[in-house]
Amino acid sequence: MSRVTITPDPFTLVPYDGAVIAALVEDVAAMVEFPPGVAIHVDVDEELFAPLTGHMSDVVDGLAELWISGANLEDTRAPRTFAPEQARLDFAVMLLRAKDRLSDEFASAPPDRELGRGERVAWDVYAVGRAERLGLTARRQRALYDFRLQHGFTDVADAAFDRCWAAPSMTFAGILELCKETGATERAPSKVPVDILRQK
Amino acid sequence: MKKMLPESELARDERFVRSKIEDRIFDPRGARIAARNTGPAKMATDRPAAAERSRSLMHGIFVGEVQALEGAGRTCFDFDDTEAPFQLKLDMARQCWDEARHCEISVKLGDHMGTEIGEYTESTFLFAAACNPDPVLRLCGVNRALEGLAIDVFSTMKEFGGESGDPVLEFCEDWMLADEVTHVKMGSDWLRRLTDKDPERRERALEFQRTVDSIFNLGGFRGDDEENVVQLARRFRELAGFTEEENDSLSALARESTEQAREMAEMATAMLDAQSN
Repeated sequence: MSRVTITPDPFTLVPYDGAVIAALVEDVAAMVEFPPGVAIHVDVDEELFAPLTGHMSDVVDGLAELWISGANLEDTRAPRTFAPEQARLDFAVMLLRAKDRLSDEFASAPPDRELGRGERVAWDVYAVGRAERLGLTARRQRALYDFRLQHGFTDVADAAFDRCWAAPSMTFAGILELCKETGATERAPSKVPVDILRQK
Repeated sequence: MKKMLPESELARDERFVRSKIEDRIFDPRGARIAARNTGPAKMATDRPAAAERSRSLMHGIFVGEVQALEGAGRTCFDFDDTEAPFQLKLDMARQCWDEARHCEISVKLGDHMGTEIGEYTESTFLFAAACNPDPVLRLCGVNRALEGLAIDVFSTMKEFGGESGDPVLEFCEDWMLADEVTHVKMGSDWLRRLTDKDPERRERALEFQRTVDSIFNLGGFRGDDEENVVQLARRFRELAGFTEEENDSLSALARESTEQAREMAEMATAMLDAQSN
């Protein structure tokens, strides 16, 4: 039996195939060296479409609980069509973050819904940079724009981005420190819950 | 060269993908999402998927600029001097220059946000409004309705640039916004001059403008509230020559469209639920 489970099963609103997604997740898990003994559950919200993207990676009772918007898996040029390369990158980022959560370096990190926006994007950039070095196609400028929106359009923020992107290793304490440096910590909290897309 | 070019014959290279209206109408996810609270649609950095929404809207602006260039260019060519005075064509030629510059700016803003040309699909609604065979109706649909919409869109993006501290976006949008105010004024001036002795034609033109406005309010895209993606930029609209009454009327139309979209979503959700039970 596969250690990867996908919901919904089957998909009813988009023609995605759970078995294809599970195989892709298995493949990516091997690539990022995700611990073999940890089961992975992926919950795809098939109601969400572009541009309502988002994903979350938590570890609950030793299980990797991944949530992803259907929009992340959708070809932006062809509605309701699965985009495997795009999915591969997003699953790599999600699994790298879930793997971080299993390590001592990120033991103090709160669940994704409690992370600050600056903390979350810095962690994402750290993961996207690693995914790119593993051979996946990632756009640096895209990640930089995401980062700047939460850390500012400043030289300090850009230098912090470079560090996250290129870092061979980081800790959650390091991410908190970086957020202080760019001023992201001082930004007002979100007016809407960060996991609002996940709420039905 | 062919006159009155239909939207199906617009020249595009292989990067561009045309969106199909039926894809949107028959997408079963639409009704589900309309019934869900996905947060305020207004652009802000604390909104979910803020970066992706920004990229997607920016690409929509880019293809809109391409079509605005094509529309103004067609108006220079489609009519003889008895239908459209030479001075009007000069104004349209100037507008072509502005729109071409906006295309270049929009491409650079796309680069800035990390997108590529053709990354999202293109809808050609805008050009369709520029196909009216009457130059006065065309000017009203394009220069008053669509360029008016452009004022709202650029003002919204400029505000987002300010809120996110993005000087590139804020300045670029501000400069383009200034051009759009001029384009609307051109439309208003030519409407007045060409229909000076023909109130019936003027009324037809204004009715066409209202139709185009309604299309672009579809589903609550534009309005006065946080639930609308694009906010009505009343101050800039006034500078462009729209009266307070016209702005109020557009706002009411936008609320009506939002309400209609909500009712349609509720009906569609009820139908989907009934089918699944």
